[in-house]
Amino acid sequence: MGPLPRTVELFYDVLSPYSWLGFEILCRYKNVWNIQLQLRPSLIAGIMKDSGSLTAMRFLTAVNMEHPEMLEKASRELWMRVWSRDEDITDPQSILAAAEKAGMSTQQARGLLEKTSAPQVKNKLKETTEAACKYGAFGLPVTVAHVDGQTHMLFGSDRMELLAHLLGEKWMGPVPPGVGAKL
Amino acid sequence: MGPLPRTVELFYDVLSPYSWLGFEILCRYKNVWNIQLQLRPSLIAGIMKDSGNKPPALLPRKAQYLTNDVKLLRQHIQVPLQFPKDFFSVILEKGSLTAMRFLTAVNMEHPEMLEKASRELWMRVWSRDEDITDPQSILAAAEKAGMSTQQARGLLEKTSAPQVKNKLKETTEAACKYGAFGLPVTVAHVDGQTHMLFGSDRMELLAHLLGEKWMGPVPPGVGAKL
Repeated sequence: MGPLPRTVELFYDVLSPYSWLGFEILCRYKNVWNIQLQLRPSLIAGIMKDSGSLTAMRFLTAVNMEHPEMLEKASRELWMRVWSRDEDITDPQSILAAAEKAGMSTQQARGLLEKTSAPQVKNKLKETTEAACKYGAFGLPVTVAHVDGQTHMLFGSDRMELLAHLLGEKWMGPVPPGVGAKL
Repeated sequence: MGPLPRTVELFYDVLSPYSWLGFEILCRYKNVWNIQLQLRPSLIAGIMKDSGNKPPALLPRKAQYLTNDVKLLRQHIQVPLQFPKDFFSVILEKGSLTAMRFLTAVNMEHPEMLEKASRELWMRVWSRDEDITDPQSILAAAEKAGMSTQQARGLLEKTSAPQVKNKLKETTEAACKYGAFGLPVTVAHVDGQTHMLFGSDRMELLAHLLGEKWMGPVPPGVGAKL
């Protein structure tokens, strides 16, 4: 058996366009590099004291708690709305539309949307955002790589080549060959 | 004859560690890519003032991040960056006015010496934690760069000449006109378009815009030893 995969956490908020860039690059590399990518829905508002994506990020937190296998697609569909088609992500209907586009049934999506206002979900988002802050975050995206007993916090979507260097992996640009990138 | 080289301007200040990283990467690629690299000594203090931006180190978490980022990038980009002990004094109190005026004079009279002179000033302030505000410090850097004492003294005198002061001002304003809010700023002129890229971490994107190959911050075959 080869060496254990290294844990790479990505703290992100769909309100942040650079978070989307970092997210897509890491999603492309997660099966190329020997890493375990852990997505961490966070609130950039909590880090920067701003506003705008509370419901969306609570929704993604609920998804992460109940259906983590849907988190990547659901996150992507929210970015597609706000940062590709200039569509709303604050209205419950908007979140449902994104969830369905991600492949959830209406029932599953509604169920998760209800959980969005549950204390456990609100707290979990708060905790994740605080975890990012404890790592020293002042914005998003923040990538935290756990390598050889050390922890490295990298800010921005433009630190992925450096991440490769820290992991001892090969950087093949933001769109590595052989990995479907079409969005 | 092949296609004409594309002009790539680098606006930088020796007070800025990320400027040093961008500078070294571009110096490595200037003979690999079909570009003409134009070094533009500028004043980061002037850019901050004009844009209303603040040095990132003033935000405590950014200051902490900077110290870690510089440690990692030092290895990755192979530039011997070292945080000065009294960082805030160096950046906020002492500054780089004389140093950048000196480099402006070098650029006006002996542009072939600009790369080495810039590098030696960075080596002082951002590698060996040495002063760059005193005339003696500037002379030491100039001599290390290969200038004779006479040549260095001559250029140091010109540092307070109106033409040199104005030239630094103009270069800094040019960066601002390109939209700079910090340094380093790389401006690529490609196919009739102008692209302003901020930061030392936009070089892969620059390669993409130039249609050139990115081979990492230390391209093979190009001496990187500093």
